Amino acid sequence: MTAYILRRLWQMLPTMLGVVVLVFLLFNWVGGDPAYILAGKMSNPEQIANIRKQLGIDESYWVQMWIFIKQIVTADFGASWSTGETISNVLTTRLGPSLTVLIPLTILETLLAIGLALGVAYVRGSLTDRMVMIACTVGMSISILVYIIVFQYWLAYKLGLFPVQGWGDSFAENLFHYALLPILIALAVGIAPSLRLFRTFFLDEINQDYVRTGRAKGLSEPRILWVHVLRNAAIPIVTHVMANLPSLLIGAFLIERFFSIPGIGREVILAVERSDFPVIKAITVYVAAATMLFNLLADLMYKAIDPRVQLK
Amino acid sequence: MNSPMETTSPGLWALAWRRLRTDRIAMVALAVVALFLLTLLLSATGIVARNWDAEIGVNYAPPTFMGAQSAEERGVQGMHAAEEAVPDNPRDPLADVIRKLRAERGAGAATDAAPVEYYGVVDPLAREIAEIRAELAKGSAATAVERRATLPLGADKWGHDIIQKTIKGSETSIVVGLTAALLATLLGTLFGALAGYYGKWVDDFFNWFYSVFTSVPYLLLILAVAAVLQQKGVLTIVLILGLTGWTGVFRLIRAEYIKHKGREYVMAADAIGASDLRKMFIHIFPNISHVPLVQMSILTVAFIKSEVILSFLGFGVPVGMASWGSMLNEAQNELILGKWWQLAAASAAMAVLVTAFSLFTDALRDALDPKLK
Amino acid sequence: MENNTLLGVRDLRVSFRLDKHDKHADFEAVKGISFDIPENSTVALVGESGSGKSVTSLSILGLLPPENASVLPGSQILYGGRNLLDLSSGEMRELRGKEISMIFQEPMSSLNPVFTVGYQIAEVLRLHLGLAPKQAQARVLELLNEVGIPDPAAKSAAYPFQLSGGQQQRVMIAMAIACNPKLLIADEPTTALDVTIQKQILELMAALQDKHRMSVLFITHDLAVVGEIADHVVVMRDGEIREKGSTDEVFRNPRDVYTRALLRCRPPLEKRPRRLAVIEDFMDPGKLPEEAQERARGVSGDEPIILDVRNLGKSFFSREGLFGSREFKAVQGVSFKLPRGKTLGVVGESGSGKTTVGLTLMRLHEATAGEALFEGHDILAMPKAEFKPYKRRIQIIFQNPYASLNPRFTVGQILSEPLLIHGIGGSDAERTRMVHELLARVGLPAASYHKYPHEFSGGQRQRIAIARCLTMKPDILICDESVSALDVSVQAQVLNLLQDLQDEFGLSYIFISHDLAVVKYMSDQVMVMHEGEVVEFADSDDIYLRPQHPYTQKLLSAIPKADDRIRRVTA
Repeated sequence: MTAYILRRLWQMLPTMLGVVVLVFLLFNWVGGDPAYILAGKMSNPEQIANIRKQLGIDESYWVQMWIFIKQIVTADFGASWSTGETISNVLTTRLGPSLTVLIPLTILETLLAIGLALGVAYVRGSLTDRMVMIACTVGMSISILVYIIVFQYWLAYKLGLFPVQGWGDSFAENLFHYALLPILIALAVGIAPSLRLFRTFFLDEINQDYVRTGRAKGLSEPRILWVHVLRNAAIPIVTHVMANLPSLLIGAFLIERFFSIPGIGREVILAVERSDFPVIKAITVYVAAATMLFNLLADLMYKAIDPRVQLK
Repeated sequence: MNSPMETTSPGLWALAWRRLRTDRIAMVALAVVALFLLTLLLSATGIVARNWDAEIGVNYAPPTFMGAQSAEERGVQGMHAAEEAVPDNPRDPLADVIRKLRAERGAGAATDAAPVEYYGVVDPLAREIAEIRAELAKGSAATAVERRATLPLGADKWGHDIIQKTIKGSETSIVVGLTAALLATLLGTLFGALAGYYGKWVDDFFNWFYSVFTSVPYLLLILAVAAVLQQKGVLTIVLILGLTGWTGVFRLIRAEYIKHKGREYVMAADAIGASDLRKMFIHIFPNISHVPLVQMSILTVAFIKSEVILSFLGFGVPVGMASWGSMLNEAQNELILGKWWQLAAASAAMAVLVTAFSLFTDALRDALDPKLK
Repeated sequence: MENNTLLGVRDLRVSFRLDKHDKHADFEAVKGISFDIPENSTVALVGESGSGKSVTSLSILGLLPPENASVLPGSQILYGGRNLLDLSSGEMRELRGKEISMIFQEPMSSLNPVFTVGYQIAEVLRLHLGLAPKQAQARVLELLNEVGIPDPAAKSAAYPFQLSGGQQQRVMIAMAIACNPKLLIADEPTTALDVTIQKQILELMAALQDKHRMSVLFITHDLAVVGEIADHVVVMRDGEIREKGSTDEVFRNPRDVYTRALLRCRPPLEKRPRRLAVIEDFMDPGKLPEEAQERARGVSGDEPIILDVRNLGKSFFSREGLFGSREFKAVQGVSFKLPRGKTLGVVGESGSGKTTVGLTLMRLHEATAGEALFEGHDILAMPKAEFKPYKRRIQIIFQNPYASLNPRFTVGQILSEPLLIHGIGGSDAERTRMVHELLARVGLPAASYHKYPHEFSGGQRQRIAIARCLTMKPDILICDESVSALDVSVQAQVLNLLQDLQDEFGLSYIFISHDLAVVKYMSDQVMVMHEGEVVEFADSDDIYLRPQHPYTQKLLSAIPKADDRIRRVTA
């Protein structure tokens, strides 16, 4: 087990290096000279040269790369170009609001999707099943933007059921007041694809031989679904949920932006709009690292669910 | 059971098509998609919606069935379009700076000028079209006085006809979706075939490449590229989507090649002395060709959605081009004023196309792979 | 010992919907069959693929897939005074696993992979007998002990993948007999198992049937197994019953020509006819097979050697620990000489490495040790380009005729491709002519040229695969379980074809199979493999008459005795 984790961490190094090179190439090579962006209106050549020196981009690419790696290792990316706030501070203060929305959302969505998917898997092939599937397809075809714009306008602005936007200081206020509508909208958007996906997981399992054995034993159909099928389908479900967590952090950016939630996703959009490269670079590298760690975590959870998995 | 019939002999594609034809939902979906593609063709060749940006209605002219509005109701009537013409991104505190920088570097010219070359291909009729436009512009200036009070589906804040704008927007969004999906599928298929077939260090290399690209969440990658590439345009967004979106196809194709490489028919091809290329593309590829086809269809939908979001945020198509995303961006503010028709038109067009496309994709997958339920 | 009828099938008809949009394409898999299962006896339902035997067994317990299968009105399955087809799903569940239970062909996939075997057995006990967890666990241990699983306590906590195939089937049996059912339905329970394991499972089932005084409905394609275990036999073909009666009666005096043909298609062990009887010989009453003429086998020692294999080895490596790797030796120290025009039989159970030997000689796997001299040249060591001209002289026919032909090629393309690759035949017209000649040679109609593989039956596909090899006029043909996936009646036809081709072209065969009777019939010499090594090598008659190695003896004794019984009663 320890050997396995150590080896997986060791194997992450080349991937991490790849991400670093990718980000570096993107921002230091493709992106051209950031000094012009940073200098803004006061763009006389001396100042630009000065900025270039400060940023270290008058050095060779190898030196710049070394600086970048040093930044990653020491977790010190300096300050944001647009606000001057230190990057580490940006990240730590934005994570909380993001998680306030994401954790309840993930739990609700997963449980709801599992329940509904088992329901339609139970009546597979029936009219209900087909109607639900078509409803899902239609639901998935409407842009998330439309959901947000319409729900925000109608439920919050017109009917006043929820605050239109905003964020407070206390956790309870945020969760039960400001985060409600965002969670509701994200749920409406996310449930259809999850439901469809989980249904295929269940149907794959329902066609397995062991289900026939269960019936031959005299088990009831609900018991076969909730005990035998669910335990097997949990394997792909866990992978799916775990693998999606880090990208949800970014994926929620539209919600965060519309509802002015000071989370990571909104920070990314702001940074992109302001060409605030250090913020984007830091977030990209850390989210990539988080994704890899979550994949490892998903594999470890595999082991707990599926006795056949051998970690080697 | 399998006794050979006297007559010959439909191939597997013909059989799949036969299955597909009996599926009524799939046929309706296919008809809808075909209709969209036909409209796209007509608008791309300039037969319809050529003058979508002519200001033929009053500002915010409502749909005909709602009746005309009084001037006060229109509210913002006095606002002139020209003032608003180049809102790069109104929220951007650095917008001024950026615009100025661009102007200095000369890059801005390409962005702000009316984009004649929509797709990065040279339009052979560009000059003629420009002339026609110029003439029409004169004409519209003359008729500007007699703008219509209502239009079939209303007008936007400049008085553009929503129907034509939606048609033009559909063209942009679908072309972006299709070409980006084609690019991503080609890359994914090629990489996947090489990695899966050759295995060993080739596989290690592509796997490394794959894990690098999948470690960074897809949207973050797109946004990062968008942040770096200041040059906007259809080609840019196709490249962004295509170059970042190949990973899913790669994973599936690689798995298929690994599976098929061990199949007996490939070993039999090996035994008769077939070369690697022959095994890869003449033997294996026809047996897995449904995978890239279905994936491309799925990716088209995904990329249309991504394009809409990117254009909405102002990272997508350049200003002055209609797309579903830029329409939604405008519609967001209009909704507060109660002008819902642009939102409705863009959302409905997108929802109908994407629904039809997705339903057709599902049917296609079932028809090509009868094992799947 | 027999008295009342336990279960009666009356006019059972089952139809399958092949195309969900087309009612007229329905296929009737079972066409109105009737038979009885007496109390305390074993009834065997025998038939080849497509006979409807499995469908019949599934319909008794109501386990047919409801999406596309339907039992037609008028059918009856009578049990305890009730028609099982009329019961509600709740009443049916009461019966399943308690009074009527079932085991299946693939024990591995039939057990839920993520629950321990103890849990899965206890589930039946808790459900039908209402046992408390503790009592159930105690009973599980008894049951595991009864079906002959060593160390029940440890195995009860094991997951299915941790058990061998034979043990998994024993677990399935334990689960099936847990509530002392009156009827056990066994659907091809030994088909997926090696012959030595098959023998143990058959013995176990016979003992349990006797001890629990239950009835067994045994579904199989293998008449030899029937003779071993059944009191009554029902022979099915194409959804109809061809013959039924007591096993002795049917074996001694088969009334139906199909039954007669089935009994004679298998290669006999004690003699070697020049040609095997095939089903047409019997169906056509005017004609009777010339079985009398025997073929002599064996080598004299002075035939020219075409292939000399020395010390062949193949290892696979798997990763282990932080940096380590583990070696798995699939094949080790295999040496043999193949005389021109003769057949070398390679026999062994699953995991014996026999298939790996064939694949390494074709260089479909790279060998990790040893050499193979083909006319004095080591074909394992030479560069790929140099190997190419040798490649066409060694060809291979695989086991699964459904997988070995590219489904996107027409038969014409499949057969022309090797000609193109090796530049055989001057023009397209010439090649087309050669392909048509070959089609005729392997007994396929000329119209096959433009058809796709999916339009052919298993036996026909294997003929196509044989024709593909013949295009290159090879010297050596490796047959890797080439007839194992075929029905016995088709098997005999393909074996006859292979024999004719050897006589005509002087081919040398390496004939790999798990089926001792087939290997004995086809081979001059036999090599017995066990866990990657050769344990015995001798002339084929010697191996069968005087086996030296204990493993060979064990293999031979595991062949179902009914082979003798058939000979005895039909001779």
